[in-house]
Amino acid sequence: MANDTKAVHVSMEPEVAHNISATEEGQDISGYDDVRALHDVVQGLPSHVVKDLLSIGVCARCIFRLFGIRGDIYSCSLLSSSMLSSVLGEQRHADEDMVDIGSEEHKNPISLPASEVSEVDAVLCTLCLGILQFTYCDDKELVVKKSAKDMAVAISELLKREWHQIDSFSLEVSIPPILLENESSVWLYMKRKYGSELCFQGKLLPQCISTVEALILCLAKPLETLLDCKSGVSDIRICLTFTHSKASKMVHSIAVSKHGCKRTKTGIENCIDSVDDSVVGDIECSDLADVTIQRSFGGSQDNGSPQSLKFPSEKYSRNVSQTRWIIDDERKGEASVEEIVGGNILPMCQGDNYKFHAAGREDIDVRMLGSGRPFLVEIQNARHIPSEAFVKEIETKINNLENKLVEVKNLKAVGSEGWDLMREGEAEKQKQYAALVWISRPLKDEDLESIASFKDMKVLQRTPIRVLHRRSPLEREKIIHWMKIEKIAGSNHYFLLHLCTQAGTYIKEFVHGDLGRTHPSVGSLLGCRAEILQLDVTDVKMDCF
Amino acid sequence: MKDNSVDDTDKLDSSVQNNPTRQRQQHKEDEEDGLQRLLLPDARDLPLIPPSAVESNFVSYFAPDFIKPGHDQYVYRHANGLCVIGLAPTHVAFKDSGGITAVDFNVGRSDRSVIKVTGKRKKNAQQFEPNTALCKVCTNDGSYIVRCCVKGSLLEVNDRLIKLPGLLHSSADREGYVAIIMPKPADWLKAKGLLLGLEAYKKLRDC
Repeated sequence: MANDTKAVHVSMEPEVAHNISATEEGQDISGYDDVRALHDVVQGLPSHVVKDLLSIGVCARCIFRLFGIRGDIYSCSLLSSSMLSSVLGEQRHADEDMVDIGSEEHKNPISLPASEVSEVDAVLCTLCLGILQFTYCDDKELVVKKSAKDMAVAISELLKREWHQIDSFSLEVSIPPILLENESSVWLYMKRKYGSELCFQGKLLPQCISTVEALILCLAKPLETLLDCKSGVSDIRICLTFTHSKASKMVHSIAVSKHGCKRTKTGIENCIDSVDDSVVGDIECSDLADVTIQRSFGGSQDNGSPQSLKFPSEKYSRNVSQTRWIIDDERKGEASVEEIVGGNILPMCQGDNYKFHAAGREDIDVRMLGSGRPFLVEIQNARHIPSEAFVKEIETKINNLENKLVEVKNLKAVGSEGWDLMREGEAEKQKQYAALVWISRPLKDEDLESIASFKDMKVLQRTPIRVLHRRSPLEREKIIHWMKIEKIAGSNHYFLLHLCTQAGTYIKEFVHGDLGRTHPSVGSLLGCRAEILQLDVTDVKMDCF
Repeated sequence: MKDNSVDDTDKLDSSVQNNPTRQRQQHKEDEEDGLQRLLLPDARDLPLIPPSAVESNFVSYFAPDFIKPGHDQYVYRHANGLCVIGLAPTHVAFKDSGGITAVDFNVGRSDRSVIKVTGKRKKNAQQFEPNTALCKVCTNDGSYIVRCCVKGSLLEVNDRLIKLPGLLHSSADREGYVAIIMPKPADWLKAKGLLLGLEAYKKLRDC
């Protein structure tokens, strides 16, 4: 009898199908297949359970989820609670005369003309709070999308507005935690009521499809069609974030009550049961808080890592700090390397934000000369990845800035390997310095020899007093690889000390001794008081430069 | 070095332009030349005696007759709030014949030299009051207690004084410091009110 029912519908389908193909693309054949598939699926479910769930306000897609049903069925726009009930209604009447079936037909929404094919559920689902019914709040406005396709259209429009090179995308969804609570409470309820029945034996909660997965199943195919590309692992990530204003408070109370329960099986279930009622009673659809689209560079997948540009930089001024340095709303120093460089690259790449990372840094009053210090600028959500020629342009622009504070060279766009280079540069690579030193007694020729004789000399440095307020008090052993004194014409108390040290050595403290807390120091080596007036970094010994 | 590079530049002739290797070499020399010019100062611009590290980075305060007469101590305060405590040059201990013989950190309830302060938050640091004893300075004639002067956490004591008490004679204002204290901003303001600046201290002691 059920077959006959279907036969009737089949003959109707082609007309409906024609209508659909005229108004909506790409759904002609699938519309027909969808209907059949839906029938099969629904009829495979225990109808009394489904009816029970429908009665407590669970939407059709959530019912499918709970039963672990997979596939494209989710994106079918025909799927709604009323559709489910009528299919179930058919089942009951399947044994009756065909005559009766005829009169049922007009009540069946599947036979409705194409324009009303999908009926929007008026009531929000208690489990997914409307997420799988494509209902959400966007900026305090209730948005109801008729189907997965409509929602996909909205998303793809957002995407196309800003991004032009789309060759793939990956879809991610984040939902408020309360949905998980709701789900486990409904599941427990089902289990208690129907646990003894065959259909439930051996089914576990994890076998259910999560709301997240279901939404992705709904949207993936339509988005693929609209954007004309495949979904999967990609540097373009579409993140849909749903939040619920009341959700966090409710979750807290649920958690508290769970803790309060005794560890007996029934105890916990009782607790969940009471929570179940309160959850059901207070439905508000969730806010689609955020649809963010992030682009990462070069196919790397770690947290949507943004694009990086790397090049060594030289700092010519003694009044430029590495990063923005503002105390009490007042800027210290004239400018900062990070702002000069990052601020010029960001507009070129049309990104949202930049982060500046360097392989180590120097004080504001220390100049970075010579080969320069390698660093990385991370551009977040770069919409335009510059070509090699463009990168050269950026380099020239920075170098020709009016105040000539910073110079950069060897600009390059890099992927995640840039990070390893940075870490290496900071912790492992040797640095070379030139310090202007004054000593309390005249310089002797023997001093030049004795200083030059020290190779790979070990130095014990206690955390310098000038950073002791924010660093751990430790004693660090560092190596001074070599030193060389360069005399200054016209003075026998001043000289230029060239030295090459291990990464992390405090040079200033090595010269003046930091009240004896760095030992040996230039002063102790020369047997007198030594002071440092000026420090310049002359080389950062990185292999790639 | 500077003289040498000047000589090379004079020898520059057309053979350099034609030879790429020499061009690269020349370029490198030019770069180094440029670096030299940046690095080397003109001796005429340099001060005869530059300010010391302490003078540049710390503000000096003095506590004359702290608790007891003649016990003059200094408090050097760094811009980051840390205070270095030590004996001022007019401290009575320096007047004893024979000089300072020993420094003992085992005073009060614990040996200050064995405290280990760890971490950025300075765990285990003991909170000291201004009159808490830091150490005992011994001479042939007697012993003198050196106190905190400022309320705050004790970060470090100069344990080198144990082996080298002579540091107090050679450089009490540098390598001979006694301890490093970290006061809270409010406590510092209170302490500051009782301390003298360098000029006032010099006037008081006629030095």
